[in-house]
Amino acid sequence: MRYKELDQLLHESLREERAEARDLLEGMEHTVTVKLASRLSGRPSWRKWWRMLSHPPLAMRGAVAVGIVLALAVGFLAGRMWGPGGFGFEETTGTMFAVAAPQAESVSVKGDFSAWEPVNLEDRGSGVWTAVIELPPGRYEYAFVVDGRWVGQDPVADEYVRSFGEYASVRYVEGDR
Amino acid sequence: MAEDELELVQRSLDGDLEAWGEIVSRYKDAVYGVAIAILRNRADAEDAVQEAFIRAYTRLRQYDLTRRFSTWLLTVTANVARNMLRKRRPEPPQRFHWPEDPADVMREEQLRELVRKTVWSLPDLYREPLVLRYWHDMDIAEISEVLRMREGTVKTRLHRGRALVRAQLAEQGVMSNAL
Repeated sequence: MRYKELDQLLHESLREERAEARDLLEGMEHTVTVKLASRLSGRPSWRKWWRMLSHPPLAMRGAVAVGIVLALAVGFLAGRMWGPGGFGFEETTGTMFAVAAPQAESVSVKGDFSAWEPVNLEDRGSGVWTAVIELPPGRYEYAFVVDGRWVGQDPVADEYVRSFGEYASVRYVEGDR
Repeated sequence: MAEDELELVQRSLDGDLEAWGEIVSRYKDAVYGVAIAILRNRADAEDAVQEAFIRAYTRLRQYDLTRRFSTWLLTVTANVARNMLRKRRPEPPQRFHWPEDPADVMREEQLRELVRKTVWSLPDLYREPLVLRYWHDMDIAEISEVLRMREGTVKTRLHRGRALVRAQLAEQGVMSNAL
């Protein structure tokens, strides 16, 4: 067999492998961006927390045990002393929208709930911009605008939709699916 | 680097994860090809793809804009895959079982399947450059950069890898070894 024929056979064989990989790689964009968002927001994934708590390093085990006891004690005391109406903390209701954008100058959210007019988010000083919006039960499509740029995929969204070539996020409020 | 790709990288550096998602979409096939060339296992390769994109994002500030982005990304992937390989328990050498009567007229798709399995059964040092060449049509210079070997070594290993595939197929009577 000539090498040219073998080359063609090698190309065709590996092309089939590529075709089979397509299903495996479906949704990889979403998986990667969700994991990155979790890391960047400083919220460890539940697996990381579980690993830390179930297998703490030897040197930390004593400290972890004392920490758990103290946390339980403080929680107990807090529940007794600072219950509803204690220090006047207001309960927050509404739906939180948040974006990690430490270098942005302006961030807003727009969606069904605002007739797609921008609602400004506030930077609390840590580079995380937030807004809490009261939303009645329902399905809401929305997107962020970061320094004029459309950011349609919110990692905590329930799903994404794509229309006119742009992504938007979807949230369901109070289980209306 | 293509202008729109530069813009995606810049936006990613600014924290725009959607831009990075677009990069993932464009390169996941190529990244998977490098991962499976090294790991030979689909599930491991899938994990390596995820890890490679995450690592590349966190190291994006170290990316040299004068360098081709795809080469840099695939180099990160090769490093991730090799690390996973080191942590994996060594596998027994793969033995490929040939059909009982290879002299039978073989359908084309069977032949391609046999070629694929032969490629996966090659030793690492021949399989990796071979897959990068025939999966991605990568040139010698890029293979050399991604796999961190001299160009002369890449050429030698491509020749030998190809010769090994041919010899194995010929040994089983599937095709003639004569040029």
